[in-house]
Amino acid sequence: MIPPVGQIPPEFSLLAAIFGVFITIFIYSFLWKENPLSRAVEHLFIGLAAVFTLASMYEAAASTAYWGTEKISGGNLLWIIPILISLMYFFFFSKKYFYLYRYPVAIVAGIMAGMMICGMVQSNFLAQIQATVKLPLIGAEAKWDTWPPTGLNNIIIIIGVITVLTFFFFTWEHKGPLGVSTKIGRYFLMATFGAAYGSTVMARMSLFIGRLRFLYETSYEDWFWAWYLIPIAVLCIIIVALWERSRPKPPPPAPVTAKPAPAEAPPPKPTEEETAKPASPAAKPAAAKPARKRKSNG
Amino acid sequence: MSLSKIAQIDRRYLYVVLFILVSIPLLSPLKLPLPISAQTRRVYDFTNALPAGSIVIESFDFSPASITENKPQAKAHIFHAKELGLKVVALAFWSTGATIGESIMKEVYGSDFPNVAGYGTNVVYLGYVAGNEVGMQTFGDDTSTAKSVDHYGTDVSTLPLMQQCEDAADFDLWAEWTAGDPGINQVIQFVQGRHGGPSAVPIVSGATAVSVPGMMPYYNTGQIIGILNGLAGAGEYEYLVNVAYPVYPYTQGPSLDAQSVGHLLIIAFVIIGNIGYVISKYRGGKGS
Repeated sequence: MIPPVGQIPPEFSLLAAIFGVFITIFIYSFLWKENPLSRAVEHLFIGLAAVFTLASMYEAAASTAYWGTEKISGGNLLWIIPILISLMYFFFFSKKYFYLYRYPVAIVAGIMAGMMICGMVQSNFLAQIQATVKLPLIGAEAKWDTWPPTGLNNIIIIIGVITVLTFFFFTWEHKGPLGVSTKIGRYFLMATFGAAYGSTVMARMSLFIGRLRFLYETSYEDWFWAWYLIPIAVLCIIIVALWERSRPKPPPPAPVTAKPAPAEAPPPKPTEEETAKPASPAAKPAAAKPARKRKSNG
Repeated sequence: MSLSKIAQIDRRYLYVVLFILVSIPLLSPLKLPLPISAQTRRVYDFTNALPAGSIVIESFDFSPASITENKPQAKAHIFHAKELGLKVVALAFWSTGATIGESIMKEVYGSDFPNVAGYGTNVVYLGYVAGNEVGMQTFGDDTSTAKSVDHYGTDVSTLPLMQQCEDAADFDLWAEWTAGDPGINQVIQFVQGRHGGPSAVPIVSGATAVSVPGMMPYYNTGQIIGILNGLAGAGEYEYLVNVAYPVYPYTQGPSLDAQSVGHLLIIAFVIIGNIGYVISKYRGGKGS
């Protein structure tokens, strides 16, 4: 059974599955080597995403401001104001009227700053401090008789918060007790980054598994299985890669060399004053630098 | 081949090994044991404890890139809510999430959705709500201002469920299926924070594994009731729903087996790479 994806009509399910297999294999071929097919799929993705976003935004703007009893179509012309303000974004492309582009940006920046300050202070600052202060270390809530004890976890959280805060304390040099605290804070930060990296690996693995399940499990009316197409897609990549290799390579760019001074314009003769003064180090003629050798990624 | 040489092996061989080993459990599931994490258990228990008729907001804030993780999470939770008799108001603050969200609703409520019994009274699909953070805040302040028509163009004032769901005070649970911003951070800041905190707007979330470490401070403070952590969280929740409602299939078993195998392989690579690094450093090499 082909899993439903978005709004694909049933009559296009087979086509969607075939397309999906080729796209998946082509994009993963990047891991072996960048090739024209992987590049083509990347460009396709970017193009589709751009068009989809544009269409969604247009539809959202129309449904928010135009269609409806209390919108422009219902006679409420106030909605023209935000539309005009948003259209001012397009002055970004005009040299003459570029300053008008700054007004919608300023409005959005002001609104977002106001919203973020209120929201951040409440949810990310006050709530977090309150919760840390209220962590139980003793009593029934600390649960020292279970494993891992909640009290122990809370002690680790408190030590972590304090030491990491001291790590970002730059008024005094990190020496003595402050140095010890910052060192412990650094270990907490490294553990956090490690956890984040582990989670990233887990997330990427999930995506890979998702595509593999698509390749192995997608079928159509008991006669077509998506994995039939895997060898064909791989063969396409090999053919394109061989074709690319057989093409004549473009000549490497000429190395950049310092141009000699034009013969027609000789350097002006030094005046008497300049001849009397010793030449400063800054006045030394710049030596032509040799072209920097490009580092190879391989 | 010495260990120091193994540390410098071409990465493409590692990809091939990974591909083969991850494929094995997908083709022949290993049926490894599945412990349920406390975070997943809390999502299930909290949802289970809601009385019938409670209003649940289901927000699809992800894109096709994270469909493997977010879709099974959201689908299992919406099915659970439906079976419990909860009223579901679904929407998306990501334009890409709206299309996926509709497919999830069709899978749970039937392919004829929205032409199903109870549409408008027990379930509503609003589709894409524009405006990111501003849209979220507006939705929490007044749902009909944020979206005056549902995904199919019906005026929300004609839908009885939306008359009961006017602002955040009416939300009994916000289920946030997220892969980035706007997502869980914004719901906490602009909906929960403005409308009485965690006790007034309880939040559960299913997120991509990569974003879960950043959510843990909210979980520890109780701002988030529970979290479904990536594919593993989706599998755990599916399993719990499957135990309670056997009609709902537990499909993520092979994926979780494959993930376990993949993780073991990566751990092995890391250990071998580090041993090679230490050996080459001990012998006076550069070690990189």
